[in-house]
Amino acid sequence: MLSKDLHLSNVHLSDQEMLLAADGELSTSRAAEVHAHLAACWGCRARMAEIEATIADFARAHRQTLDPQLPPIAGPRALLRARLAESTSKPEVNSWRWLPHFTSATRAAAMLCASFFIAAVVGRILVNHSSLRGTNSIGAAFERGALPDGRLTPGATRRVTISDVCSMAHEEVVGEVSTSLRHEVFREYGIASAHPDDYEVDYLIAPGLGGAEDIHNLWPEPYTSRTWNAHVKDALEERLHEMVCGGELDLSTAQRDIATDWIAAYKKYFHTDRPLVLHSRLESVNVLGVGRVYSAPRQAD
Amino acid sequence: MSPADSINGLSFPTVAEAAFSAKPSEIEREVIELFEQFRDPLLRYALSLGIPVHDAEEVIQEVFLSLFRHLQLRRSRKNLRGWIFRVAHNLALKQLFANQRSQAKTISDWTIAQEPFDPSPGPEEQLSSAQRRHRLLAVVHALPEADQGCLRLRAEGLRYREIAAVLGMSLGAVSISLTRSLARLIRADGR
Repeated sequence: MLSKDLHLSNVHLSDQEMLLAADGELSTSRAAEVHAHLAACWGCRARMAEIEATIADFARAHRQTLDPQLPPIAGPRALLRARLAESTSKPEVNSWRWLPHFTSATRAAAMLCASFFIAAVVGRILVNHSSLRGTNSIGAAFERGALPDGRLTPGATRRVTISDVCSMAHEEVVGEVSTSLRHEVFREYGIASAHPDDYEVDYLIAPGLGGAEDIHNLWPEPYTSRTWNAHVKDALEERLHEMVCGGELDLSTAQRDIATDWIAAYKKYFHTDRPLVLHSRLESVNVLGVGRVYSAPRQAD
Repeated sequence: MSPADSINGLSFPTVAEAAFSAKPSEIEREVIELFEQFRDPLLRYALSLGIPVHDAEEVIQEVFLSLFRHLQLRRSRKNLRGWIFRVAHNLALKQLFANQRSQAKTISDWTIAQEPFDPSPGPEEQLSSAQRRHRLLAVVHALPEADQGCLRLRAEGLRYREIAAVLGMSLGAVSISLTRSLARLIRADGR
């Protein structure tokens, strides 16, 4: 061990003491003693230099070996954000757990309110249901048209480079579909007489991923799809855009996956079998009739 | 498997119980900030343990989902960096054991042959640099696992008490381990 006047003697510092000093792990008084010894002792200073050089070499080797393997942070960060949002929304489903903390009278009142609320929701759904043409069940109505007809809409791309795709944020690459083309799409799908508010003519391969304004890349996506709706697809497009621009995914793979089955692609890239609450919750609000939160649908006229 | 369930020795209440104890939006922001700060060091550490990148990314996602619950429950904020690395270490080891059961180790993090050369030095210097790095990493690879862990965590900037908490060692054991490892590295480097 180091005595107070050690720096004046021939007793040298141990490697452990020097490493503790280099790492700032010594007490202030002990560190002062070690530094005083180092100032006086060439042998210990040389050894200290070896230790510090080796630390630097190892730290450099550690980074140089591993850093090239680190994917960009953007994709994982987006995924974490989505998962956190999903976590925070779960309590809404199970929030009755806090009822036992209330008095029985309060609980009864809460239950009564809940009953009215549920009745209102069911009523609203039934109203929506009755307004849908040609459907026999609520579920079928909501999910009808979530996927395009592959024969009519196989997907089409324009010639783009990665830098073209990545030079703008995904949400900035918005392609307006011409009125005549929208009419053509509706006619092709045999729903020319449909109420325009029920559908959005959407790109299968988004313009932000190199999708073309071509009838083979457009289909009428119903707003009434509750689970796999346009907002969920938007989230997938944003995720794929991030992955492509982050170098995690080939553009051609992203285009192929979204064109083949965008729902399967969503499941694949978000590691989930159902839409994350963050991506579909707005639709739930809409179904409850609180207010339309989607962007205004394009008119089919 | 839920992330919370997977942490050894820790048991978290459900999200529903936690949601009423803190404001999620603030915590979400904090967790994302911590993710941005520690994702790369954690990923390097997980990779150095021998986990493929995809699995390591998933482990880190679980770490931060667990951190989110931890903060929601207003549990200790003392030394969050140590907490994060400890959870990452536990989950990474669990993943490593699962991978080893299902397949042979395929990690290439210490495979010098796949490393890109730094373009700035000349060819001879590149070779020399790569050889030195190879020698250093070969020595590290031959160290006991606890010693490797101490070195890698120290390389990521952890203090001794944090390393001790992550690896379940005493402070003195961390100090001795690092000293021993550095002495070997110095000898191998012919200094």
